[in-house]
Amino acid sequence: MIESRAPSAYLPAMVMRRFPRTLGSLEAIVSFVHEFLAEREIDPKHAHDVDLVIEELFTNMVKYGGGQADIAIGLEADPARLTIELQDFGVEEWDVTQSKPVDVDAPLEHRRPGGLGLHLVKRIAEKFQYAYRDRTSIVTVTMRLTP
Amino acid sequence: MFDIEILAEGNVKLIGRLDAAEADRAQQIFRGFNQPLTADFTDLEYISSAGIGVLIETYKRLTAAGHAFRLTNMKPRVRNVFAYAGLDRLLQIE
Repeated sequence: MIESRAPSAYLPAMVMRRFPRTLGSLEAIVSFVHEFLAEREIDPKHAHDVDLVIEELFTNMVKYGGGQADIAIGLEADPARLTIELQDFGVEEWDVTQSKPVDVDAPLEHRRPGGLGLHLVKRIAEKFQYAYRDRTSIVTVTMRLTP
Repeated sequence: MFDIEILAEGNVKLIGRLDAAEADRAQQIFRGFNQPLTADFTDLEYISSAGIGVLIETYKRLTAAGHAFRLTNMKPRVRNVFAYAGLDRLLQIE
């Protein structure tokens, strides 16, 4: 008799993979994320926001992080929450959670490029945390998986 | 993958994923339009802040020239991104 078990019973807690620090990695990142969501049987309706959070954090590291090494992306899920972790190695400290707020009520004429990506992350995240250890920036986002 | 299909005069269809890897190419295509424009989002699956930036630039450029720029048929998850950014009240989204 085949025993049926919840995916979390036999899948590793956090799945982590490294990606070259180029925007050309985004396609491979999306494949990695969607494979993870399918394995954990997470409703595909969450994919857009998960992709968005990861793209915004990853592209910030690529454009402004100043490092040379690949960037690590980790994913972990339980039935209620998804945790995303990005690690940027060999960089200066830069706490992205302290980014300047975007005035979403400002007219278009006064909108300037920049800052919107991290604003979107803050809107989606239940928790948005930053740590700096051994010249590595570690950014963690927790998202609620609403039914 | 992202693509812009040019339909009848002043109408385009956005297809796929408008992310940071595709934003420069999308911007070049949009800069080729200097007329009233309607962008159909029916087949746009995903947009990030980079894609939003392309649309804001296009909107500013066209409206400064006296042209309308309409965004139609967005999927709810795509429209959410515009709402998070406070742009659903500022752009012409139908």
